[in-house]
Amino acid sequence: MRLYEWLDSRLRLKPIRETLLDEPIPGGASWIYVFGSATLFLFGLQAITGMFLALYYAPTPDHAYDSIQFIEKEITFGSFVRGLHHWGASIMVVMIGLHMLQTFLYGAYKPPRELMWMVGVILLFITLVFAFTGYLLPWDQNAYWATQVGINMVGGVPMVGDFLVRVLRGGESLGALTLSRFFAVHVLFLPAVLIVGIVLHLFILRRVGPAGPWSDERAKLGSETFAPRQVYMDAVVMLALFMVVAALALTVPFDLADKANPSDTTFVPVPGWYFLFYYQLLKYVHGPFEPLVTWILPAAFILVVFFWPFIDRNPARNPAQRRTTMLAGAAFLMVVFGLLGLSLRDLYAVPRLDPSVAHGKALYAQYGWAGCHVIHGEGGGVGPDLSYVGDARPDREWHHRHFQDPQAMVPGSIMPSFPLTDRELHDLTSYMLSLTQGR
Amino acid sequence: MHPEAEQNDSSGFYTPVGSRRKFFHWMTGIAASLIGVGLAIPLIGYVISPAFKRMEQSWIDVGRERDLPVGKPKQLDYVTSLKDGWMETKAEKALWAVKQADGQVTVFSPICPHLGCGYRWEDSDRTFKCPCHGSVFDISGKVMAGPAPRSLDVLPTKIENGHLLVIYKEYKAGLPKAVEL
Repeated sequence: MRLYEWLDSRLRLKPIRETLLDEPIPGGASWIYVFGSATLFLFGLQAITGMFLALYYAPTPDHAYDSIQFIEKEITFGSFVRGLHHWGASIMVVMIGLHMLQTFLYGAYKPPRELMWMVGVILLFITLVFAFTGYLLPWDQNAYWATQVGINMVGGVPMVGDFLVRVLRGGESLGALTLSRFFAVHVLFLPAVLIVGIVLHLFILRRVGPAGPWSDERAKLGSETFAPRQVYMDAVVMLALFMVVAALALTVPFDLADKANPSDTTFVPVPGWYFLFYYQLLKYVHGPFEPLVTWILPAAFILVVFFWPFIDRNPARNPAQRRTTMLAGAAFLMVVFGLLGLSLRDLYAVPRLDPSVAHGKALYAQYGWAGCHVIHGEGGGVGPDLSYVGDARPDREWHHRHFQDPQAMVPGSIMPSFPLTDRELHDLTSYMLSLTQGR
Repeated sequence: MHPEAEQNDSSGFYTPVGSRRKFFHWMTGIAASLIGVGLAIPLIGYVISPAFKRMEQSWIDVGRERDLPVGKPKQLDYVTSLKDGWMETKAEKALWAVKQADGQVTVFSPICPHLGCGYRWEDSDRTFKCPCHGSVFDISGKVMAGPAPRSLDVLPTKIENGHLLVIYKEYKAGLPKAVEL
């Protein structure tokens, strides 16, 4: 306290403290106002964990994957710190969603707060670019192919598509230059831009003040100071979020797929869940309508969201007096969550447990076939990599015949045929068919 | 308005007072401390964890024991893969091995215990000579002349199935006793 007084006598801190803590909240503090602070907290968590991850990360294709493995396996708390960063990103997207939903519901984007909404929308898209660039950095199969698909979608933009794709990749194909520019953008450029955006967002907030409740009667009750009650609510929510992210980081392992292999075109990537609804949408549209979904719809959507305060001219803030807006919002959420649900159902369809797979796997080890084939990095490279043979050869009959007479199915194959019982043949085939990315 | 809240004279806003106010302050402080500690402990461990890890040393096969000539030092290639963070590099050292008349094998570190130069075997006068500062050692590693403070450093060896196995170590130079790095 004496230190504070000493500093205050020189730097005159009291007015600053009063401005920061005595910010008036119309209608009083509320748990519904915590989402902005929660998002800011998660951004801070991402910044801190990101800085620490950078200690051991090497942004080149020959070392990126190994350096992440090193963090996961050799560094004390390495998988925890990486888990915090991974799950923190997801929870941050959730909090942004809730923050926007609250703003939307309360009509808090209406005059005089249009600019705050627009800066917020820019912050949302910066966050999504963060997510997209960060996804590539582990340089595993999923990272590589999901980014490949993401970049290719930009190619659908007329006139400048090819140009954009090349600029994003830094060349003809996805490689060292792509990884290093995604890394630089993720850790240097975007944080700078995001921080400026956050400052602007908060500056506007302090100039126009928080919107408060939608009903004038409640607002007329008077304003409560930001500290200590709203600060306390924000802090409690931050602690709860930290515990949720930490629990996820500790209990849900976020394993790497195999190292990125540009020549393996059989890999089917999965984007981050926050892009899944869009990923699902792309499945339903083919042919001449594809550009409609790959870029016209997203572009129109971004414009509508950005200019929303000028599109919705209804001055009322009470949801009861904003039927159309509420219906539009609900319809949008239903479409997004419907697509997300469909996508998740497709992705995480529970695989049927088959004991013959385990037996086949044991037989594979017993016959020592790892001497010839690689499965997820284990084994010798004489024969083809079998990591995803179930995707490449989904036909049971093919495997049966191939085991009995390899040369008949693959002319010139040097694989010997083995005297297998029918049961062994069946179980080995089951094991081969189970080697897919189905996850 | 909350019954416990009081009007704040200066600003005209209401704000909790008394024990209520204290509670909010305390809870905020507790939440902040828990987050701080919850982050600080793993992050400190994360930063220092590789700093004090000792390199794992294992027995490396440097060749068959019977290929060594008796009474004449032979230089053996010692190849090991060193872990450097997420990278693995091959390290090569040339060690001096001497088989005595009684069949005992001694392997010397190739580094002069004086200031760390590489020495060599001089067949004409049957001594190890360091070209840097003129230290001379006999075939058992003992200092015969020059500034070297101790005998040549002997590396741990064992013989398994006729193969000579060695663990490579480095010792601090310039000390009268061998101290491992």
